[in-house]
Amino acid sequence: MRKASGEYTGRLRWPRLGQDLAIVAWPSFLVASVATMVCFGFIDPVLVGNDDYPPPAFQTRMTGYAVGFFFFWLIAALSSLMTLYLVRTANPEPPDERTDEGTAEGTRSPE
Amino acid sequence: MNEAEAPVDGALYAARQKIYPRDIKGRFQRLRVYAVFALLGLYYVLPWIRWGERQAVLFDLPARKFHIFGLTLWPQDFYFLTWLLIIAALALFFFTALAGRLFCGYACPQTVWTETFVWIERWVEGSRTQQMKLARAPLSGAKLLRKGTKYFLWLAFALWTGFTFVGYFTPITELAGNVVTFSTGPWETFWVLFYGGATYVNAGFMREQVCKYMCPYARFQSAMFDQDTLIITYDEKRGEPRGARKKGSDPKAAGLGDCVDCTVCVQVCPTGIDIRKGLQYECIACAACIDACDEVMAKVGYPKGLIRYDTQSGLEGKAKHVLRPRTIIYGSLIALLIAGFAYTITHRNLVAVDVIRDRNALFRELPGGLIENVYSVKILNKDAAGHGFSITADGLPGLQVDYGTDVVEVGAGDVQSVAVRLRVPRGELKGGSDILFTIRTQDERALEATGKARFLVPTN
Repeated sequence: MRKASGEYTGRLRWPRLGQDLAIVAWPSFLVASVATMVCFGFIDPVLVGNDDYPPPAFQTRMTGYAVGFFFFWLIAALSSLMTLYLVRTANPEPPDERTDEGTAEGTRSPE
Repeated sequence: MNEAEAPVDGALYAARQKIYPRDIKGRFQRLRVYAVFALLGLYYVLPWIRWGERQAVLFDLPARKFHIFGLTLWPQDFYFLTWLLIIAALALFFFTALAGRLFCGYACPQTVWTETFVWIERWVEGSRTQQMKLARAPLSGAKLLRKGTKYFLWLAFALWTGFTFVGYFTPITELAGNVVTFSTGPWETFWVLFYGGATYVNAGFMREQVCKYMCPYARFQSAMFDQDTLIITYDEKRGEPRGARKKGSDPKAAGLGDCVDCTVCVQVCPTGIDIRKGLQYECIACAACIDACDEVMAKVGYPKGLIRYDTQSGLEGKAKHVLRPRTIIYGSLIALLIAGFAYTITHRNLVAVDVIRDRNALFRELPGGLIENVYSVKILNKDAAGHGFSITADGLPGLQVDYGTDVVEVGAGDVQSVAVRLRVPRGELKGGSDILFTIRTQDERALEATGKARFLVPTN
């Protein structure tokens, strides 16, 4: 890397929080878009709950689509968040490769 | 170890440094500019094109109808969309196998809008060095003015983008009128701001970070690569060992390769990688390093193409294969799917019928030993012209059909619900029978559709 000009320091990374937000928000956005298309391809939102009682769930189709989209986004984001949490908190080293430092008693490998 | 491979853990928590890609001219950059103009031109102009009485391309969500020039798609045609998505995915595989991340470099919306935002930035703030100088400069009126102008132009462009996006879903001329009078509906306003905001943040600030952290395609691209995939690559054999040299000196005598280590290829890289380290998943195949290196090679009098589009086999001096099982299979699958798609969409039935039994009564016994069942028959006319329909029913001997008139008129692209009474002499009937309804146009354009329903009779 060129150091003379000083602009490339190699720290071309987002902070962890930014990465996490992106990793949770973006895939769930994509999934929610597809889910919304498929769902409302088959279901007309103004007909949801449109019997005599209870009153229809959505006054207009646009409201139905929007509520549906954000609902799917929320659900998918929760799933992404949980996946991310599990990935982030997993111990990357298999038990037999762990060192004594900072390793719980029960997981120490026999020597 | 140089700084790019600096301690990862420390870097994870450090704020990212803004990359100021250096402007570069060359044949691939020209191609990318054409691509930006073609794609964005299409995006911004398409909703304004008219087709007869209506907008040529309108995904009319409130009416649940998609208009694409002469074609109108209904929710029943949903599978066409799925089909299109499959074709698009296969095309992505095909082009990736052929020439790597062509999509990323030339056609991805993220790249295309980022490119436009970078142009605006350059136009307002000047070259790469001027931008960096401005960023370091203390706050002043002049700095505020420049920065403010840039953000204002970005915002205006982003809002126009959001407006155009919504214009694909609501008639854009109406929408434009509403925008001028500040009377857009709540959802229209929301989506204009949502899409405009997303454009502003994605193209203005996140840029290639989106490719690095958010794009799944970047991660699985290698599954589609093989020895014969065109990639952007540095010719290590020719370039190494790299190093600075005196003008006119013989590199071979000094034990040097062709790379003069000017690092221009690194400076122009929008994702900040060094292509000389080989293929990296951050590379979005923008080819800026090719143009940059070619320019330098021309200046120092070496042949071009030290960094170039080449295949793994090509670099090793082996034969190149454009036609190979992978590309042939992808190619023929796409051709097959497109042909099938074209056939189905031009031969799809333009009328449809939906038969629902009357929910209030299973049957009625009429004087004269007749049993009556009532149905609601929904006739769907997807054709561009209105038609008169007759309704017939088969499945039981002596079936009488009564729907009030002889011909049911259904307008172009309209749905009409008709109450139909079927009467059958009681006779020997037991239990239920299947009835087949047929609707038929009563004019020279012969169209028909059928729908099934049950006919119920008393069990005793």
